[in-house]
Amino acid sequence: MQVRYILREGFSGFKRAKLSMFAAVITVSISLLLLSSFTILLINANSVIESLRDKVEMEAFLEDGLRNDEVEAIEKRVLAVTGVREVRFISKEEAARIFEEEFGEDIYRVLDFNPLPASVKIYLIDGYKTAAAAASVYDDVKQIRGVEDVIYRKALLEMLDQRAKTFLWGALGIGLFITISSIFLVANTIRLAIYAKRKIIQSMKLIGATRSFIRTPFIVEGLVQGCVGGLFASGVVFVLFNYLEQWLSVPMSDFVRVEVFAYGLIVGVGCLLGFLGSVLSIRRFIGESVVS
Amino acid sequence: MIELHEVSVSFDGQLVLEGADFALKAGDFVYLVGQTGAGKSSLLRLLYMDLKPQRGTVRVAGFSSSSITRREIPFLRRRLGVVFQDFKLLEDRDVYENVAFALYVTNTKQREVKKRVLLALADVGLSHKRLQMPHELSGGEQQRVVIARALVNSPPLLLADEPTGNLDPASSNEIMELLQKINMRGTAILMATHNYDLVKRFPARIVQLKDGRLMDVELKEKR
Repeated sequence: MQVRYILREGFSGFKRAKLSMFAAVITVSISLLLLSSFTILLINANSVIESLRDKVEMEAFLEDGLRNDEVEAIEKRVLAVTGVREVRFISKEEAARIFEEEFGEDIYRVLDFNPLPASVKIYLIDGYKTAAAAASVYDDVKQIRGVEDVIYRKALLEMLDQRAKTFLWGALGIGLFITISSIFLVANTIRLAIYAKRKIIQSMKLIGATRSFIRTPFIVEGLVQGCVGGLFASGVVFVLFNYLEQWLSVPMSDFVRVEVFAYGLIVGVGCLLGFLGSVLSIRRFIGESVVS
Repeated sequence: MIELHEVSVSFDGQLVLEGADFALKAGDFVYLVGQTGAGKSSLLRLLYMDLKPQRGTVRVAGFSSSSITRREIPFLRRRLGVVFQDFKLLEDRDVYENVAFALYVTNTKQREVKKRVLLALADVGLSHKRLQMPHELSGGEQQRVVIARALVNSPPLLLADEPTGNLDPASSNEIMELLQKINMRGTAILMATHNYDLVKRFPARIVQLKDGRLMDVELKEKR
């Protein structure tokens, strides 16, 4: 098959069928803007949840009167528990200092003695900041000799888990709906453009063009429309997130971030949408009889 | 070139052929006549294999309806030139590209395409209109483009379905003269028509399609 012919035909829509080309490009762009805005919001909402999880700490309080080597042994054993990333020892004196920072009063003035136990702050690995995983860490740490009590914000983690689950399913549903709608919308727009050319397709078959000879330029055209739509959508997203905050004086980057690769991804998904749309559409018309 | 052996076919519930036999040899010119709705177009569809017979065998340019695969059909059609009453030009491209398309599908080299398209257009007297779009041409001119496109691959057989059906008498005569010229060069032609006036003025073998049968008939008065 002649590559030159296919490329020329693939790009010919810009000259021969400006309106349908424009419609397809705009449809792809709008679909992608919807999809990318949703994805960006989803990613950022997820990072908000993750940052809340980061705030969850576990603290193991130690029995009074432990020797230094015993404390060190406890630290090591806690660090060895699956899911623990880092530990930090807080002595009774440091606990008293923290108390003073938090309450503005010296514990010795209030009680004559320091009742605050020494503790080990436990920082969890990212994947262990869930209610179930934290509970397992809690159980393991609790069993270590010398550890009197372990506390963490169990209720907050449970609430985050529940919200994240609801959010994930909701987002999946909406995302699926937007994706399917986008494919349907793009395929339909491209199908309309190909429908307008069905007589041309019939004539091509009559002249002896093979299915692939007819199909390939249409697919290239769909791909071109998708890529141009993707570029356009990518440009709009770029302008929105880079210049809008200047015009509106709203620091958008505080709550939404778009990584550089995301622009490439938008163009890539555009190409894919155009490709799928044209493959699905041309299949229907290419099988028709040559006589309408 | 064409051979029908005990062919039966119905289309849309209507009987087109019933046990029909017919043969057309290389270089023949045959008119296919019959009343409107007799099934002339369906018979032509059998020949370019857009329709398959329910019984019997259709053989065209070395391909048989009983053994041809879907993938082979384009290769049969490249050995045929097909001319329609409604032209079936590629409306989105100019005259040159319409004719060239028949060569693109056969993967002909660009330089060869140019030479052959210009020759075919010269043959039908449309070299000067090569950059016009189909809708800018008259009916007769559009049909001449179709003929140029049909001939550019030098097919041994040309199928014409009412090629003058949409044309005025003067253009019809031009097309008929062109078809005769092509036939003289050795291309076999099967032309479906119900224009008896043309048949009288350009005499050739006449085959009538009536009640599902194909039979040779004579015209009573000839020019």
